[in-house]
Amino acid sequence: MEIELQEIHDFIAAIPPFDRLPENILHSLTSALRIQYVRRGGDIPTGNDATPTLHILRQGAMALYSGKGNLMGMLGEGDICTSFCAAETMPDFYIKATEDTLLYSIPCDQLSHLMEDDPSVLHFIHHSAAQRLKEAVSAMQEQSGSSLLHTYAGDICRGELVTTAPGASIRDGARLMTEHGVSSLILMQDNQPVGLVTDRDIRQRCVAKGLSFDSPLADIMTRDIISLGASESLFDALLVMTREQVHHLPVFDDSGLKGIITTTDIMRQEGLSAVHLTGTIRKAESLEALIDASRMLPRIQLQLTTMGADLHHVGYAVTAITEAITRRLIELAEADLGPAPAPYAWIAAGSQARREQTCHSDQDNGLIISDRSQPGDDAWFASLAKYVNDGLNACGYVYCPGDVMASNSKWRQPAAVWQGYFEQWIEQPEPMALMLSSIFFDLRVIHGETKLLDKIRKNIMKKAPNNQLFLAHMVRNALSHRPPLGFFRDFVLVHDGQHDDTLDLKHSGLVPIIDMARIYALAEGLNEISTEDRLGAAAGTPSLSKGGAANLLDAFEFISNLRLEHQAAQIREGETPDNFLSPKQLSKLEREHLKDAFKVVQTMQATLEMRYQTDRI
Amino acid sequence: MLNWLFNLEKKRKRLLDKAPAGPVRDYLASPFPDRNSSIDDTALLALDFETSGLDVKKDHLLSVGYVELRQNRILLDTAHHQIIHSKRDMSGDNISIHHITHDQAAQGQTLAKTVESILRQLQGKVLLAHHAAVEIGFLQQACKTLYGMAPVIPAIDTMQLARRRLERQQQPCKANQLRLFNLRKQYGLPAYQAHNALMDAIATAELFLAQLAHGNYRKPPPLKNFLLHP
Repeated sequence: MEIELQEIHDFIAAIPPFDRLPENILHSLTSALRIQYVRRGGDIPTGNDATPTLHILRQGAMALYSGKGNLMGMLGEGDICTSFCAAETMPDFYIKATEDTLLYSIPCDQLSHLMEDDPSVLHFIHHSAAQRLKEAVSAMQEQSGSSLLHTYAGDICRGELVTTAPGASIRDGARLMTEHGVSSLILMQDNQPVGLVTDRDIRQRCVAKGLSFDSPLADIMTRDIISLGASESLFDALLVMTREQVHHLPVFDDSGLKGIITTTDIMRQEGLSAVHLTGTIRKAESLEALIDASRMLPRIQLQLTTMGADLHHVGYAVTAITEAITRRLIELAEADLGPAPAPYAWIAAGSQARREQTCHSDQDNGLIISDRSQPGDDAWFASLAKYVNDGLNACGYVYCPGDVMASNSKWRQPAAVWQGYFEQWIEQPEPMALMLSSIFFDLRVIHGETKLLDKIRKNIMKKAPNNQLFLAHMVRNALSHRPPLGFFRDFVLVHDGQHDDTLDLKHSGLVPIIDMARIYALAEGLNEISTEDRLGAAAGTPSLSKGGAANLLDAFEFISNLRLEHQAAQIREGETPDNFLSPKQLSKLEREHLKDAFKVVQTMQATLEMRYQTDRI
Repeated sequence: MLNWLFNLEKKRKRLLDKAPAGPVRDYLASPFPDRNSSIDDTALLALDFETSGLDVKKDHLLSVGYVELRQNRILLDTAHHQIIHSKRDMSGDNISIHHITHDQAAQGQTLAKTVESILRQLQGKVLLAHHAAVEIGFLQQACKTLYGMAPVIPAIDTMQLARRRLERQQQPCKANQLRLFNLRKQYGLPAYQAHNALMDAIATAELFLAQLAHGNYRKPPPLKNFLLHP
C-alpha cells in the first residue's frame, strides 16, 4: 500500500470486523479496494457479471429491500454491506442508494483470499446473525472477570468437614467446633447429613433459651438444610444466601456432602451487601426504615453488574430484595391490622414473578383470597393492599400505570373469581383484554398460601395448550412489540423507515423475547416462569426448536447485559436508571451484535406468526 | 473543436514518425483510445502533480500520484505515488502546502525515471486531472527537456467539465467554485484531510465519477463528449 493512502486505510481500520486485522492485511485490503459512486436512487452495482462484492460505505446511504419491496435495513457511513457476499443465504433482496453514495468495494473472492489467515473476518461476513450473536455472547461471558462467577462452590469448600452425630450433646458439639475453628457442624446419621448447627443456633436456640448444654444437638439443629451443588458458582451461593437469609451452605457433589460455604468465604471473595440488605429489611420496624433500605438497591445493582453478574443473577438478587420488602410490608400491615380473616396469597405478576427485575420496576401485584372468606372480609384485604401498595410506592416501586395492583378490587378476589378470569381469557380471548392480562400468565406467590395459586396454575396449564385461538391471540399481542430493523447513522431504524433517537431496550428488545417465551410455555403447558427457564424447558418441544431456543437465549442475554451496563453507567452518574439507550452510546460492534439479536427475534416472530396464522384472527 | 479531436490521432502519428527512440516514442506508438467508444470502456489515468509553482518553465515537479479508472471504478491496486528528485531550493511556503521536505526531495526518484513510468502508464489511456493544463504543461515540458519532444496527450479535465455544466445551466461562476474541494463538497464527496499528489488524483477521479453519475445519461456517452478542448 502506498503510504499516501493512509486516510483510506484509517477509515477501513476503524470499522469492525476489519478493526481486528493486523497492519499488513489492512494494507493489502486498502490496496485492493475499488471506489465507486452511485447516484441517489441508483441500484448498487453488483459488478459486470454480478461478481459477489462487499461494499463499505464511505459516504452516503443505502436501503436494503426484500424482494417484495419491504424495507429491511439501511446503511450509512462506515457500514458494511455483506449481503452480496452471502447472497445464497439471503432471501430475494435489492439495494438502492438513498443518497449520493461513495463506496469502497472488493470482490468477495478476493477478500476471502486476503483474509485466509484471519478467519474471524470471514466468520463475520459469512455467518448468520445467530452464529455471530453466539460468538459475541460467549466472548462477553469470558470477559466478565468476576471471581464470584468463575469460582465454583466445590473449589472453595475444600477445608476440613466437621461432622458429628445428632445425638451428641450441645456441649460436645461446641467443643468440636472450637477445636476445629469452624462456625458450623453437620450432623450425620447413617452417612447422611440430617441437620446443621451453627454458632448462632447455639446462641439463639440454646444459651438464650436456657436449654441444657447436655441436650442433643438434634434439639437445636436446622433440619431442612438449604444446600448448593459443587458446580454452582459462588454467585449462586450469594443469591441463595440473600434469598434464604442463611450464612452457611453445605455443598454436595455426586458422591455426597463435600463441605460448607459461609458468608465469610464469599466476603473474602467480594462484597456481601445484597445479603446484608435483605437482613436489614427483615428487621425493619417501620416504613421509614424500609425506604432507607430500598435506597441501597441501585448501589447493589451497580455492585453486582460491576462484579460481572448477568441478568439471571442481578434479576434474582434485585427480585429477592423486592420480595423481602414486600413481605416485610405485609408483616407490618398484619401487625397493624390484626390477623387475616381468611387465608390468602399475595401474588406478584410480570418481571417480579419472572425474577427479572432491575432497579425499581413498576409494581404489578394482586391478592388471591380463599373462597372460604366472607363478604365482609374484603375491608381487611383492601387495607392490607393499600398499605403494601403505598409502601412499595414509597420504596421506589411506583404504582402500576395500568392499575394492576392488589388495591384495585378487580385484582383482589377470591380464588374462584381468579379462576373465572383465566377461563374467560383462555376460552373467549379478546384482543384488548389479553393485552392487559398477559402479565398475569407470569405469576408467583410472594407471601401466603402457595396452594391458592397452584390450583389456578394447574387449570391454566391444562386449558391453554389446547386452545389455538387463545394462543393465536397471545401471539398477535406478542407481535405488537417488534425489534427495530437496525441502526442508521445515529438513529434507530424502525419498521416503516422512521427513525427514533433512542432505543427502548425493554420494549423493542427484551419484551418480544419475554412474550414469545410465555407463549412457548403456555403452548407446552410448562410451569417455568422466568424467560430463560421457559426457553430452556421449551427447547426441543414442537413449539420451539433447540436451535431457536439457543438463539433466543443468546439474544436475551446480550440485550439484558447491554441494559445492565447502561443502567450501571446511569447509577454511577447519579441518574435514575432507565431502558433508553442512544445509538451514540453504542460502539460499532455493539450495534452489529444488536442488529444480529434483532434479526434472531424477527425470525422467531415470523415463525410464530406463520404457525398461528395471526392474520386470520 | 471536432477538427481538433480528429487531429489528435493524426498528430500522434505525425509525431511518432519524428520521435526519437525512447519513452516518448513508445508512448506515441500505442493508439489513443477510440474517441467514439463509450466512456465506460475507456481506461483513464487520474494524475496529479505537486509542483513548486505554476510556471512550467521556471518551476519544477515535486511529486506525482496516479490511479487507474476502468468501468467507472477507481482501482486502488494501481495507485502509485512518487517523490521526484530535486536539488533546487524550495521556498518554505510551498513546503507547508505539500509537506515535501528538502531531504525527501533529495532522496526522490530522478525526473527521467519518473516521466518514463508516467508515459508507460498513460499508454492507451486518457489522462484525467483537475485543471489538466497544469499536468499536461509540466509533463510536456519535462518531455521536451528530457527527450527534445513534447507528446500530445488526450485528457479529461474535471474543472472544464464543471465549468461547461455551469455554462449550460447559464449560471455565473463564483470565485473558487471550480476548485476541487468545493466541487467535491457540492457532490457530497468526503473532505479528505491529506493533501498529497495521490489523494488529490483519487479525489479528482471520484469527482469525475460523481460528474458522470449526475449526468443522468440513459447510456454511457462516448469519450469525445468529455475530452479536453485545448
